[in-house]
Amino acid sequence: MNPKEYRYTKEHEWLCPEEGKKAKMGLANYAQTQLGDIVFLDLPSPGTQVEQFKKMGEVESVKAVSDLFSPTSGKVMEINQSAVDEPKLVNEDPYGAGWLVRIELSDPAELDALMNVDAYNKYEAEALAEGAE
Amino acid sequence: MRALKKTPLNKVHHDLKARMMDFAGWELPAWYTSILEEHKAVRTGAGIFDVSDMGRVWVTGRQAGDFLDRVLTRRAQQLEAGSSHLSLMCLEDGGILDDLWLFRMNSNRYLIVWNAANVEQKLNWLARWSEANPDVNIEDVSADTAMVAVQGPAVADLKLLDSVSNLPRFGHAASKLAGLDVLVAWTGYTGEDGFEIMAPAADATRLWEVFIEQGVTPCGLGARDSLRLEAGMLLCGQDMDADTNPFEAGLGWLVDLDRGDFVGRRALVEIRSAGVKRKLVGFRVDGREIARSGYPIVVSGEEEGRVTSGGQAPTLGINIGLGYVPAELSTIGTRIEIMIRNKPVPAHVVDKRFYSKGG
Repeated sequence: MNPKEYRYTKEHEWLCPEEGKKAKMGLANYAQTQLGDIVFLDLPSPGTQVEQFKKMGEVESVKAVSDLFSPTSGKVMEINQSAVDEPKLVNEDPYGAGWLVRIELSDPAELDALMNVDAYNKYEAEALAEGAE
Repeated sequence: MRALKKTPLNKVHHDLKARMMDFAGWELPAWYTSILEEHKAVRTGAGIFDVSDMGRVWVTGRQAGDFLDRVLTRRAQQLEAGSSHLSLMCLEDGGILDDLWLFRMNSNRYLIVWNAANVEQKLNWLARWSEANPDVNIEDVSADTAMVAVQGPAVADLKLLDSVSNLPRFGHAASKLAGLDVLVAWTGYTGEDGFEIMAPAADATRLWEVFIEQGVTPCGLGARDSLRLEAGMLLCGQDMDADTNPFEAGLGWLVDLDRGDFVGRRALVEIRSAGVKRKLVGFRVDGREIARSGYPIVVSGEEEGRVTSGGQAPTLGINIGLGYVPAELSTIGTRIEIMIRNKPVPAHVVDKRFYSKGG
C-alpha cells in the first residue's frame, strides 16, 4: 500500500516530509515492480543541489538503467548507504528501509506540485491498466 | 507500437502475471518473479523457458545436404542422423547473418533453429541460394509449433524424460512425452545441461504444464540473457552481426574452410590469412558498476571499442561483459576501462567463459 502521508511524482518517486524542512525520497512500489531486481544505485553526493523533477541519479535493475528524478528542489543531506550497499532493499521495502535520499527543501511550497495518495493511487491504477493491455 | 507476435504460450505467461516485453517483435516474459531468482533456479535446480520465438525451418529433399553445405559455414553432411551442431550463416563478405542450430534427421531431412530476428531476410537468403538446388524444400513451421527449453542440473531427475535420458550431448529424438509427440534435443543456451523440446503449437500449454507440475521454475528472457552471458555465449544481433566476421567474434571454430565452396568462403579465407584487427573479449569490471551494451571501452583516454553485452554475473557475484577491442588489447589480463556515466571504470580482460558448469 502506498503510504497516505507521502507525496508522489508522475515518475513514481515518493517524498516523505519530515520536521524542519527536510524530506526523504525513494521509489514508489510501482517503480520497483516495473524495474525488477535492483542491483545498483547511483545517488547524488551529500551537498549536491537538486532541482524538482530534474534528474539526480540512476537506478539500475538487472535489465536496464533508469533515471531517478528529484521530487523536490534542495540540498542533498544524506543518502541511504544501506540501500547503496544492498540495492535489493529498494525491492523489499521501497517505502521504508529502501529509501534513497534525504533532502533539505529549498521551497516547501513545491510540495503542492506533487500528488497526494488518493491522486497517486488513481494514477498508479491507470499505469497498471495500461501495462496490462 | 507495432502489434507484437504471440507465442502459443502467451496466455500462460499472462496468467502467471509475467512482466512482458518486446523481443525481436515477440511479446515474451522478461521475468515472472525475479530475474535473479530465475537465474539461480537454472544454476541450482531446473527452469523452463518459452523459446518459441526462435524460428524453426525444415530443409528437406534429395539435395538438402548439398544446399546446407553451401549456405552454412560448417558441413551439414558431416552430422550424423540424430545429432546436431551450432553453425553460422554468413554473407558473401563473411559477415554473420545468423547463428543457428542444425539438426539432422536423416540424409534428406534437416531442421534449422535460428534466432527470432530478421526471419524474412533469412528466408529470402535461403530461397535465393536454393535456386541452384531444385530438389530442396524449405518450410518455416515456426507458427505451427512451439518450443521450450528445460535447463538446469535437476533436469536429469525429471520424470517423463526417461525415454530421452540416454541422449548424447547435442543428440535428438522424436519422442512421446505425456502422450504428446515431441522432438527432444540435448541442447541449450544457459551453460547447464538440459533439453529443448519442440511440439505442435496446440500442445504447447500441456507441454509447459508437464514441467511446472514437477516444480520446474518458469524463467523469462532476463534470465535467458544473464545465463547465456555468464556462460560466455554470444547473442546474434548484439555480440555479432553482418558487420562482424566469425574470426573476430571468436567463432572461427564454426567455420570449416577445408572443404568445397560455400557462401562467404572466399572472403573468410582472406580474412583469416590477413589476421583480424579486433577481437571480441570477455571482461570483468573491477568495481560495482555495471557495463551495458553500447558503452565505450577506453584505454588511456582513447575509445578502443564498445561493449556488446554486459551485466551482473549473478552466480559469480561479479560484473562482466563482452566487447570488441583491437587484437593487441585482447590478451587476458589487459587493463581496460569502461565508460560508465561518463566516468572511466577499471576493468580487465578475462576468459569469455565466465562460468562453466561444475567448475
